Amino acid sequence: MTTRTPSRPAPAALPATSRSAGRAVTGAAVRQVRRGTAVVAAVCGGLTALVVVQYRGLDGAVGIGSLTALAENPAIRTLFGPPVALDDPGGFTVWRTGTVLAVLVGTWAALTATRLTRGEEEAGRWDLLLAGRLRLRSLVARTLVVVLAAAAVTGAAAGLGLLLAGAAGPGAAVFGGVLAGTGTVGAALGVLAAQLLPDRRSASGLAVAVLLGGLLARMVADGVPALGWLAWLTPFGLLGRAAPFATDRPAPLLVLALLAAVPAVLAVVLAGGRDLGGSRVAGRDRRTAHSRLLTSLPGLALHRTRRALGTWAAGLMAYFLLIGLLATAMTDFLRANPFFARLAAQAGFAQLGSVEGYVSALYALLAVPVGVFAAGRIAATAADEAAGRLALLYSLPVGRSRWAATEAATVAAASVVLAGAGGLATWIGTSWVGAGLGLGDALAGALGVLPVALLCLGAALAALGWAPAAVLPIGVLPAAGGYVLLVLGDTFGWPGAVRWFSPFAHLNAVPAEPVDVAGGLGMLAVAGVLALAGCLRYARRDLLG
Amino acid sequence: MAVPSPSAPAVRTEGLGKRFGPTEAVVDLSLTVPPGEVFGFLGPNGAGKSTTIRLLLGLLRPTTGSAWVFDAPAGEVARAHRRLAYVPADVSLWPSLTGRECLDLLAGVGPGTDLAYRDQLLERFALDPDRRARTYSSGNRQKVALVAAFATRAPLLVLDEPTSGLDPLMEREFRACIAEAAERGQTVFLSSHQLAEVELACSRVGIIREGRLVEVTGLAELRRLRRAEVVADLSTPAPELQRLAALPGVSDLRWPTPVRLELSLTGPPGPVLRALADADVAHLEMREPSLEEIFLDYYGQGPA
Repeated sequence: MTTRTPSRPAPAALPATSRSAGRAVTGAAVRQVRRGTAVVAAVCGGLTALVVVQYRGLDGAVGIGSLTALAENPAIRTLFGPPVALDDPGGFTVWRTGTVLAVLVGTWAALTATRLTRGEEEAGRWDLLLAGRLRLRSLVARTLVVVLAAAAVTGAAAGLGLLLAGAAGPGAAVFGGVLAGTGTVGAALGVLAAQLLPDRRSASGLAVAVLLGGLLARMVADGVPALGWLAWLTPFGLLGRAAPFATDRPAPLLVLALLAAVPAVLAVVLAGGRDLGGSRVAGRDRRTAHSRLLTSLPGLALHRTRRALGTWAAGLMAYFLLIGLLATAMTDFLRANPFFARLAAQAGFAQLGSVEGYVSALYALLAVPVGVFAAGRIAATAADEAAGRLALLYSLPVGRSRWAATEAATVAAASVVLAGAGGLATWIGTSWVGAGLGLGDALAGALGVLPVALLCLGAALAALGWAPAAVLPIGVLPAAGGYVLLVLGDTFGWPGAVRWFSPFAHLNAVPAEPVDVAGGLGMLAVAGVLALAGCLRYARRDLLG
Repeated sequence: MAVPSPSAPAVRTEGLGKRFGPTEAVVDLSLTVPPGEVFGFLGPNGAGKSTTIRLLLGLLRPTTGSAWVFDAPAGEVARAHRRLAYVPADVSLWPSLTGRECLDLLAGVGPGTDLAYRDQLLERFALDPDRRARTYSSGNRQKVALVAAFATRAPLLVLDEPTSGLDPLMEREFRACIAEAAERGQTVFLSSHQLAEVELACSRVGIIREGRLVEVTGLAELRRLRRAEVVADLSTPAPELQRLAALPGVSDLRWPTPVRLELSLTGPPGPVLRALADADVAHLEMREPSLEEIFLDYYGQGPA
């Protein structure tokens, strides 16, 4: 850092030093975000361009009658947002990828923001920075600007991808703007949460929960006409209101800018009046009642997992309750509009016409969050190791493979609970609207995705053994990467040998089809081998921290 | 599980070495600490003390050689760690757990804890166990680890610079605990870079420098290592003080200026003080040499 006071004061040099102190901090923040930004930007640009190319391959225009029907169907509107301009390659791409990319960019920006602010502060690195010339408020403001800019870059990449693939200019600009705006909202929420809460994990949780709460609000807004105004309060709703490639309205973009500006300004203001290491919402520092779980290894594993499990279960249950409530509206619509059923089948959603087919298609989505949850728990273990928190535990008669196995078993059990919670919520929803789905079918379908989630757990454990710095990205690869691989493979008609590598190729659409026992056992075997190899390697390598 | 023989050394290493890429952190370290001894492990920062301890605990895998704790190989932690307790140099705790939850966890998972003694230790170290770990200073985190370690009454205590965050009152309490542990026959492996701390607590010391064990010696020899640097400023030049060089314990008499003399002194200072009394001394300073200075003296080359 260049914030040292020179031993001989040279008045002329002071402003320059102060400027370069700020620049150094900005430069350090840029270095911390550039790799992630490049990856997310490549995904945004690449995926949009691919889907535009894919649409051209469809070769058939969407009939105007189908289009109207689609736009008016409440289930379609609720799940995927209002479909507009589906006759345009760009419009179709926005409808297909918009929500997914907005969730990706927003979540990534929020997590990056808390990592660069509360994470750095928690690790004590800001003590050093703030011993120099900079004040906390300007440090927060500079970091915020860097993350906002990084989020904007990813939006621009999506717009560029559309343009290069031949979509219309104004629509590409509006969509890029909405994605960039969603990212900046996520970044601003992350920095704000980092001012409010004392540790990175809860700040990340709050920011992501608020952001994804916006997704649920959008679904409600598009499903319940009376609550349509809710869409104006969330980036995901504004994506539909801006209607890229249809009306290309600029007003929602301005509202989006406001949605980002409010938390951003609030974050900088709140940063001004607090202590370093402190937070606006202080948790209780003293607690006389102590957890009775914390007297054994399984108890510790349970204690570490239960809060994360509760949060994830609440979010997933809200989503799948909504899925269940929409079941009849969706199946009726698809039966009446065979074109969209075909389109959906091409995108990997076969048999959407029956309630069993409908829920089984959406259960495939369940594998991704459950897999991310499992990989995230192992990533937390890796983070504990890097922070030196496991040194005392491993000075007890506790073998590393024993602790890793205890954690893995707890996380596996929690994944079962999480998937079951998704199934239960779906059943409650479908029963409410009388869609006629049995509880057993609902649970079987939800639990059927577990092999994919456990594959994530196995990959994360292997990463814990060989690449402890990359547990999360390697751990989510089987679910997130496998899902994208399958959808792309189906879309472009890739050979079966390529599709085979996607775990989803080995899942049947339960409960519409019987369970693929061989596929499930095969995946469990691979997961087991990965987990075993990872645990053994973990026990033999040097402990970090 | 085989019961170790009572005469098994508490700590034994043979040709222990650890290499991190091009850096040789520990080289060919062979050492035996018999049970019941309070052993000081001395060395400057970065000498390899913590690496040696982490090898001994099986947290790192040795590149060469082996280590045993009461004849149990260091890598077999389920056996080796039944008989030891550890205090790391930099204690990290789960931030949301309270001190008591950390202690309960260590007691519940560990090989056994004397809970009454633990409560007594909490009092003695003046630690509030109901605060969350994130509110603890580094000294308080160290106290949690110290209380947990002493309360186990494990036959071997491995302490890695355990007093770096403690205030002088707590350092005194720590030394009392070490003395009690020694009375009970516990072995203590105490790593430090403070000569005074080691001198007060230990009966034998090993000195490590640049990853190599350069000296293993008893306390009497350590006292010989311990010399004072004397600096005297004179009001007027006093050539007769040249005779200081002939006094017992005096070595390396230097005259940076005609009115300033510097010398190294081992043993009692009486003769030197009597000689200086005759001269017109304006300012007198006696300073203990740093560990590093002793190393420079003894091994004749600068630190890496």
